[in-house]
Amino acid sequence: MSFDLNLILDSLPKMLAGFGVTLQLLVVSGLLGLILAILLLLMRLSGKFYLDWVAQVYIYIFRGTPILVQIFIIYYGLPQFEAVRDSVFWSILREPTGCAILALTLNTGAYVSEILRGGVLGVDKGLLEAGSALGMSARQKFIYITTPLATRLALPAYSNDVISLLKSTALASTITITDMTGIARTIVADTYAPYEVFISLAIVYMIFTFGIQKLFGVFERYLGRYARREE
Amino acid sequence: MTDDNSRPLIQMVKVDKFFGSFQALRNIDLEVQKGERIVICGPSGSGKSTLIRCINRLEKHNAGEIIIDGIELTDKVEDIDAVRREVGMVFQNFNLFPHMTIVKNLMIAQQLVRKTSKDESRKLAMRYLERVKIPEQADKYPIQLSGGQQQRVAIARALCMEPEIILFDEPTSALDPEMINEVLDVMVDLAKEGMTMICVTHEMGFARSVADRIIFMDEGEIVEQAEPAAFFDNPKSERTRAFLDQILSH
Amino acid sequence: MEVLTGWWDDYLWGAVIVAKVFAASLLLMVLFGLIGAAAKLSDNRVAQKIANGYTVIFRGTPEILVILLLYFGSAIVLTAIAQVFDPDIRFVDVPPFWAGTIAIALIVGSYATETFRGAFLGVKPGSIEAARALGMSPLQTFIYIRIPEMWRIALPPFGNHMLSLVKDTALISIIGLNETLFVAKQAITVTGKPFTMYIVVGIIYLGFSSLITLSVMGIEKFGNRTTVGAR
Repeated sequence: MSFDLNLILDSLPKMLAGFGVTLQLLVVSGLLGLILAILLLLMRLSGKFYLDWVAQVYIYIFRGTPILVQIFIIYYGLPQFEAVRDSVFWSILREPTGCAILALTLNTGAYVSEILRGGVLGVDKGLLEAGSALGMSARQKFIYITTPLATRLALPAYSNDVISLLKSTALASTITITDMTGIARTIVADTYAPYEVFISLAIVYMIFTFGIQKLFGVFERYLGRYARREE
Repeated sequence: MTDDNSRPLIQMVKVDKFFGSFQALRNIDLEVQKGERIVICGPSGSGKSTLIRCINRLEKHNAGEIIIDGIELTDKVEDIDAVRREVGMVFQNFNLFPHMTIVKNLMIAQQLVRKTSKDESRKLAMRYLERVKIPEQADKYPIQLSGGQQQRVAIARALCMEPEIILFDEPTSALDPEMINEVLDVMVDLAKEGMTMICVTHEMGFARSVADRIIFMDEGEIVEQAEPAAFFDNPKSERTRAFLDQILSH
Repeated sequence: MEVLTGWWDDYLWGAVIVAKVFAASLLLMVLFGLIGAAAKLSDNRVAQKIANGYTVIFRGTPEILVILLLYFGSAIVLTAIAQVFDPDIRFVDVPPFWAGTIAIALIVGSYATETFRGAFLGVKPGSIEAARALGMSPLQTFIYIRIPEMWRIALPPFGNHMLSLVKDTALISIIGLNETLFVAKQAITVTGKPFTMYIVVGIIYLGFSSLITLSVMGIEKFGNRTTVGAR
């Protein structure tokens, strides 16, 4: 058994052709997921028990089941119903990419809302009391005190979730999407060289992960500038 | 604000406060006149902080009435807002907003609550920073200041709202000993200018020289209130005497 | 619901497989995590480097790639070895059960490494100094002070690692493990009811997740009896 360097050089550009798809899955479902997460967070903080309850059940279900099962239910499962096939959403749900983005969004939204909630709960209660004592309204306190501090507190956990999301995009390959992993699996099926192909792809993902970490590191330092004693 | 000079600025009548089944305040009756300087002392857990936190409704009282400058504190949001505009507060742990510079800490509530323009609020902020003698720290973040400096900023922040009354909740308890005086100096200056103040503190020297009245609390009750001389030299209650013996015995 | 008739047994066996993979991978995950943490905390530079490499690789690579690589990669080695003895052999693989179990244990073990390391460092030096000052031996200090305190720090994230493990079993269906997702696929080809069949899978996994969450909550309550209610 030998390591075929030529095969790597040959297959790497092919896999990188799927980088755009991977990036698209990550960015689109990441942004939509963040919006969903904020919505769920507001429901949980609303003080209305029915909104809180709905959000909790949602989060419980999506965190309690494997993302692969969620992808299959949406892609293979939903077309079982005629109502879905006749609906306006069919143009999205017919496409594997639409289904993958939907599943990833619903999944990451559940996780991120809990991360954001942790940040909100982590804000020092004394600061909110100071806001009240100064006459700030609940909305003003939320915007000017809670949000900036909670963002900073939640950022490290959030960056980990973005990395989890990147890794989950690879599952899109199970529903025929030709992201980097999907292309790699085709190449392996043809060449039967899992070592060369999968290891070099793993390195690509690791570099991607590293880049995400660096990016968040910069953002974290910027947001945390008030927490350093020296100028 | 007050047209009727005889009316007390703060009026508490038969106020009770519970935390679950624990009674933190029992039947509190208290009147504070404009310009009065009150010091509240007592053992920990006696309800001192709870009492002043009821005055700006950081805690909700369960029975009795609290009337601030003619406004009764109820669940009505507008009334609570109106009271909070008149009552400033300084906390034990400063509670400066860590993500805002010092001057921004002083400006934010002016801009949001009093709708003052940015320039106006900055001007006022700088004026009060000068009064607490740290204008040069304006553009730093709270963490870069010493505890004493942070507490002075917190006092300036409360002053920026131009309140009628300032509440101090153990303002020197979290400070290193060498920083206590710089904060007390600012408080003494305020007292001299005629600000209405209620201070929860164990600084008995400050109480003796500044207070018009000292209130001793224990187990949620006001046990005794008197002018400083009478309070220290001739306490009436056994409980007051025991407390004073304890804190003055060293 | 009658479409499910006849499939309950298969789902039950699928669930048993999930439980088996979970149990085996849990043991391995703890083992990998402890070894990783010990290596990171050791004074040995080489051990530290290896452990760092381990966590970077397995936290930065999509789970599905690790599973595919371990399965097909080991199959190539085994086949090559087997062909030495019998050139007619076409394909020998590690059973998907073991390839998958080891893969997910390695992945989650890399997260557990950080959890155990953090918990070990999170024990307050004050407690340890106090114990030593009271004349406790290093071994006594370790057993009576360090382990209980570590355990309390590590338990909440450890509960999340267990959830990851049980959900990751679903990924092993990709290499042919006959767990519930695999059962659903077979059932769909016969009944043509993908939604129903995958929802059953989701419910089974939700059951496993709930069981784990409840046990962790119970243990946490028991473990925190010294810190709660002491106000």
